[in-house]
Amino acid sequence: MKLTRIRIEQFKQFRQPFEITGLESGLNLFTGANEAGKSTIVAAIRAAFFERHRSGSVDDLRPWGDASASPSVELEFTIGADTYRLGKRFLGKKRCELQAGPQHLDGVEAEDHLAELLGFQHAGKGVSKAEHWGIPGLLWIQQGSAQDLREPVSHATDHLRSVLNTSLGEIASSGGDEVLAQVETLRNELLTATTGKPRGAYQQALEQAATLEATLRSLDAEIAVYREKVDRLATLRRDHAADEAEQPWTAFRQQEQAAAASLDAIRQVEAALQADRQRAGQIDAQVNLLRGQLDTLASQERAVATRRTALENADKERHANNTLVEQWQSRTQEATDRHTALREALRLARQEATRRDLDRQLDELKRKQETTADALARAETEQAALTALQKKLAETEIDPKNLYTLKAQQSALRELRIRRDTVATRLLFALTDGCRIEIGQESVTGSGDRLLTETTRVTLPGLGQLDITPGGADLAELGRQEQALADSHAALLQQLGLDSPEAAEARHQSHTQHQAEARTATATLKALAPKGIDALRAELTAHDARFGEIEQALARLPAAPENISELPSVSQAEAAEDTARQSLDQINQQLNEARLAAGNAHTAHESATRELATAQAVLDAPDRAARLSAANRNLVDARAEQDSLAERIEARARQVAEANPDLLQQDVERFRASAGQLEKQYAERRDTLMRLEVALQTAGAQGLEERRAEAARDQEQVRRRGDELQRRALALDHLLKLLRDKRAVLTRKLQAPLQKHLNRYLQLLFPHASLGIDENLAPGPLTRPGSNGAETSLFEELSFGAREQMGVISRLAYADLLKEAGRPTLIILDDALVHSDEARLAQMKRLLFDAATRHQILLFTCHPANWRDLGVGARSLEALRARNKAG
Amino acid sequence: MIRLLHTADWQIGKCYGQFEPDEAALLAEARFNTVERLAALALERQVDLVLVAGDVFDAQGVSDKTIHRLFYAMRGYAGPWLLIPGNHDAGLAESVWTRAARLAAIPDNVHVCLNAEPLLLETLGVAILPAPLTQRHTYNDLTEWFAGAGTPAGMLRIGLAHGSVQGILAEEIDSANPIAAGRAEQARLDYFALGDWHGAKQVDARTWYSGTPETDRFKANDSGQALLVELAGPGEPAVVTPITTGQYLWQSQTMMLQVASDIDQVLSQLADFDQTDVVKLALSGQTDLAGYRRLQASIAQAQGRARCLQADLSALRLEPTDEDIDAIQADGYLGEVIAELRADQDGAEADVARDALALLAGILDERRARATS
Repeated sequence: MKLTRIRIEQFKQFRQPFEITGLESGLNLFTGANEAGKSTIVAAIRAAFFERHRSGSVDDLRPWGDASASPSVELEFTIGADTYRLGKRFLGKKRCELQAGPQHLDGVEAEDHLAELLGFQHAGKGVSKAEHWGIPGLLWIQQGSAQDLREPVSHATDHLRSVLNTSLGEIASSGGDEVLAQVETLRNELLTATTGKPRGAYQQALEQAATLEATLRSLDAEIAVYREKVDRLATLRRDHAADEAEQPWTAFRQQEQAAAASLDAIRQVEAALQADRQRAGQIDAQVNLLRGQLDTLASQERAVATRRTALENADKERHANNTLVEQWQSRTQEATDRHTALREALRLARQEATRRDLDRQLDELKRKQETTADALARAETEQAALTALQKKLAETEIDPKNLYTLKAQQSALRELRIRRDTVATRLLFALTDGCRIEIGQESVTGSGDRLLTETTRVTLPGLGQLDITPGGADLAELGRQEQALADSHAALLQQLGLDSPEAAEARHQSHTQHQAEARTATATLKALAPKGIDALRAELTAHDARFGEIEQALARLPAAPENISELPSVSQAEAAEDTARQSLDQINQQLNEARLAAGNAHTAHESATRELATAQAVLDAPDRAARLSAANRNLVDARAEQDSLAERIEARARQVAEANPDLLQQDVERFRASAGQLEKQYAERRDTLMRLEVALQTAGAQGLEERRAEAARDQEQVRRRGDELQRRALALDHLLKLLRDKRAVLTRKLQAPLQKHLNRYLQLLFPHASLGIDENLAPGPLTRPGSNGAETSLFEELSFGAREQMGVISRLAYADLLKEAGRPTLIILDDALVHSDEARLAQMKRLLFDAATRHQILLFTCHPANWRDLGVGARSLEALRARNKAG
Repeated sequence: MIRLLHTADWQIGKCYGQFEPDEAALLAEARFNTVERLAALALERQVDLVLVAGDVFDAQGVSDKTIHRLFYAMRGYAGPWLLIPGNHDAGLAESVWTRAARLAAIPDNVHVCLNAEPLLLETLGVAILPAPLTQRHTYNDLTEWFAGAGTPAGMLRIGLAHGSVQGILAEEIDSANPIAAGRAEQARLDYFALGDWHGAKQVDARTWYSGTPETDRFKANDSGQALLVELAGPGEPAVVTPITTGQYLWQSQTMMLQVASDIDQVLSQLADFDQTDVVKLALSGQTDLAGYRRLQASIAQAQGRARCLQADLSALRLEPTDEDIDAIQADGYLGEVIAELRADQDGAEADVARDALALLAGILDERRARATS
């Protein structure tokens, strides 16, 4: 297809007619700034084909603001050998005319003819949309949409596919895809779509089979248990019957009884042995007792002899001691007499010494009495003086604070008077002698002055009266203050009983003096009577009493002996008396010791005499001889019995040891246990049998084997169904796979021509890359050699620029495919490839140049510099418009 | 003259898992009906007694209901029934027999011989020598004692046992429950009634297997009968007449399809099956899709008529003809798929390929039917 002329009028930007002629069969490059009208030209071409001329929805084709315009497009093009002229007018004067070679078509017929020719549809109603655009929608790339490929391809798929099918002939299946879908549905009823695991009825059958299998296993187990129980029942019954017939425990019972009898017999022997041993013990004790009796009798005779010798010795001892006592008695008398004489001498010496001492004390006491009496008299005097002073002190006492107050008041009064005098009106008078006036109440003569502090009437006899009022402002106030102070001063003085502050001062002085005097008097008194006058008085009384006592003591002393001068001193007398007393004491002690020894000897003698008598009495007892002979006789008898018992004990012990009763006891127990065991076993078996019978009856009623047979039947049925479903599933799966494989092979075969064209362009852009084609004939994943081997990326994952480039080359490939099938192709690129880098753009230009050898390409751009090396002259839209205007 | 009915191997309680549930239920039910028919037969032929030579029950652990039903089914004949336990219902310490006794299910005219001792039927002049199995399997000959067992003179001696008569099966088979060959003669038996084999079989002049009265498997020949035995007196020959008692005819058929007309033969055979038939049909060989369609339709119809019909077509190879493929409109890659599947029927996964082909043909067939209607 080759577009040769475009004419537009009242169309969007172009209110005036605009025409492009002389379009080339290869590349046609149109340049223009934004708003120059590039897209309007493209829109005009699209409208001429896509929009029904009768459409009411194409208002946007009108120039802006021109509601009466009737947009029109005229196109001239050739397809093959035929020349086409299409004239189309919208809205106002709707019209469509097509001259197709020799054929002239009008209106809808013309439009449908074009749609068929180019491979698109018209919208049923309203404005034409992308879904109607078909092949031209794919090849005419609108501004900024080169990268959008999938959607335009999907709208052109049917056209492309019919082209491909035509090229391959009728190898595609008429209902293949439906069959495939049905097989897939059937297969997916039995197997999961992705993993191919059983599902639905198939899975159910498998599960049921498994459940039944488990039921079977459990029933088998139950049946096995049941059978085992039946077998046990048979065994137990046989054993039970055998036991009942044989009664094997009877023999053991008999053996047990025999052993018990033997054991009883030997137990009796053991008892006799025990009795013998007890008797032997008694005899031994008796022998010992008799021996003791005989020993006692012999010792009695020995005792009498001993006692007699002891008595003789005691007698000798008694005599010796009595002699010694007599000797010491005579010596004691002498010593006593001497001591008595010396004691009398000592008494007299002491009496005289006492008398002398008392006399001396009496003198001493007299002296003390005098001293004390003197001190007492002086102290009493001093005390009286002090008392008088203290009285005076009390009278003259004045509070120092009051004293101070008085002084202060006095000084304040003085001050106030000075101030009053200063302020007061001074009345100086000098009266004529004899004249008299009265100032206030006062009658004055002569001269003088008065200070007037208040209104004062001066009576001038015969003349009248003068009332003088002092002028000082605060005179009255001063007067009041003074009066107040004077009042309190007078009150204080009155309170103290004084008439002036000076008197107060004088009284204070006198008080101070009295205080000093009182201190002196107190010190004096303290020196005389440190403990007080009363203590002094008591001391004197004590001295008097003591004096009386000593005098009485002296009076009581006996009269002095005549030979007073011969008397020894007290100390001499004491020493002599002491020596005599010690001598007497020693002698007395010796005497006492002798007397004690004599006493002891006497007692010992008496005791020995008694003991001898007692021992002798025993010997002399009347039955002693009889007892002695009886004891000797009994001893002989006991010894004989001892010997016979020993023999018997030995014999019986041997008998017991040989019989071994422990072993016999064990035999009894063993036989008893054996019999018991057998009896117990018998009883237990009987119980087990009963239980087993009941258990089997219960289990039997469950009809286990019938249930098992039914379960086995069900399982077989389910398994058969499972097998059938498995076969079906396998067959469907296989069939589905086969159908898909065959279909894929076919698809690949169909796509081969497209693939060929696509690869040709791809190699120029991405050497060694390959591009898949999907179901809808849209480009699939792009595989390129990368640093880590081949790298595959989906179309959507490519960069914007790469997608744009891929979009363009894909369209070129589709165009080639269409061309080969003899379909008209026209490629329009409106500002495409603006996102390509320089190198890629260069490659794209090579591609476009190559494609332009087969297809007419209209390329609109606002970047003329980018396309300068395309090998064709660029047409500036601005220039074209200018020329159109001029034309 | 004594007339008796000899039967065995009733196998009451048997289940048939190889059939669909409804069919299996009917086959199980048929075993009770057969016992009722036996009772009716005994009454009709005015027999003196009925001998049941073991395996009355298929298992020990049948339900109480089954026990009651069996004895109820025997009510039609009031004369003596003589039963012995077989290997399926051995007279163990606790068995279906002890349970039946406990349940008071056994009528007075039914004698279950649980002990190996002669049973004298004085009024009939018959001495029964039973060899009941008291273990599940025994390798002793339980009929050993027959010869030594004395019976009153003038009484018929009739043996009743369950097991394999030695020397009939192949030597190497070590069969349980053996019975010595020639026992009837050796033990001076007038008749020896045997059970265990499911087909009726004469062993010697006086020894017979009656077989099961209702066939329960495909391989048993001469099953589905009972034996009417007439004994004129001691030492006289036994006159034995087999009588058909079975309700169902079990058939197993294998056919090979080679040419197109073979299909017609199969179809005519299928058309003959009716409600007394229990059929196992296995087809091999090959057919085209049209033949396969006819076969399927005919089998479906026959399954409606016959009591049971199992058809195994898995060994049947599908060979679609060009006409087939045209007919089902398998164009484009579908045609390729069919060709590949057809070829794969010779490969390793022949079964899958065959099934897949049958499925695809079915789907296409259905599509075509839809399209034409």
